[in-house]
Amino acid sequence: MNGCDVEPTQLLIFYHHSSYCSAAALQRDLAAVCGWITHVLPCSAAGSDSKAASLHWTAERVLSIALLALGPVAYFSPGPFIDYSLAAALTLHGHWGLGQVLTDYVHGDTKVKLASAGLFVLSTVTFAGLCYFNYNDVGICNAIALLYSK
Amino acid sequence: MALLLRTLSRQGVCLSKPHYHVLYRQAAPMGTTAKEEMNKFWAKNSSLNRPMSPHITIYKWSIPMMMSITHRGTGIGLSGAISAFAMAALILPGNYTHYLDLIHSLSVGPFLIGLAKFGIAFPVSYHTYNGIRHLYWDIGKGFKIPEVYRTGYTVIGLSVITSIALTLM
Repeated sequence: MNGCDVEPTQLLIFYHHSSYCSAAALQRDLAAVCGWITHVLPCSAAGSDSKAASLHWTAERVLSIALLALGPVAYFSPGPFIDYSLAAALTLHGHWGLGQVLTDYVHGDTKVKLASAGLFVLSTVTFAGLCYFNYNDVGICNAIALLYSK
Repeated sequence: MALLLRTLSRQGVCLSKPHYHVLYRQAAPMGTTAKEEMNKFWAKNSSLNRPMSPHITIYKWSIPMMMSITHRGTGIGLSGAISAFAMAALILPGNYTHYLDLIHSLSVGPFLIGLAKFGIAFPVSYHTYNGIRHLYWDIGKGFKIPEVYRTGYTVIGLSVITSIALTLM
């Protein structure tokens, strides 16, 4: 879905009304939306800044809903696809959530820049570690299942 | 007259566009962003070395306040735990089953195992259920005070039940 002119809110309505039978399609579109949001937005005048902030807000909610949906999917059909989707969704949700915490408590340009850089490094390492775990070890779904198999 | 002066002295007022007419009270968007305004606030007050007004130290705590900060706390905690897990996966030798067996061999005892399970299950449950409550607010519903308390108690109840179930499973 190369919806460069599709608003995330329109996508949300589309998801609501269509029957998405595969988590795969949902994840692909979600990734496309996230990519579009983070890379295609212009940044200069006050108007487009607030547009960016509004889209970010919507993207956060879309991701939260996707993460909620991943729960039962992971329970009923575990596997590598869900493992990597969970790794991505969990990391991004945490990254954006911690970003809001930073915005609330860290003030001053240099401190904000430093904290944001630190958060970016943390999230990158987290995603890398989870992917490494999925690839070289049992994977997220199996890891949780193993906790209950003793 | 005051209205005219106030409107004109606001940054970024553009008089050439018709809907930015001076007599439209606050109808034109501000020339500064919220972010810029916030930065100005912090820069000014910290450079004047002003102390912060007491807020959480004096305001009466309420269930919604406590649930809100718990949502943030569980979010930060869970994020930290996931990051710690990811870094452990990258740094520590041996695989997952190896460390699971290690914990088994320590014969920690069912109570402590249960405590650890609850310690993971409760933050996950609470943050998930309260997250759904947040999404409910985001579609504009449930803002009346009795509704806030009702949904709040529901979240707490469901979280406790789910956490106990996940611990005992």
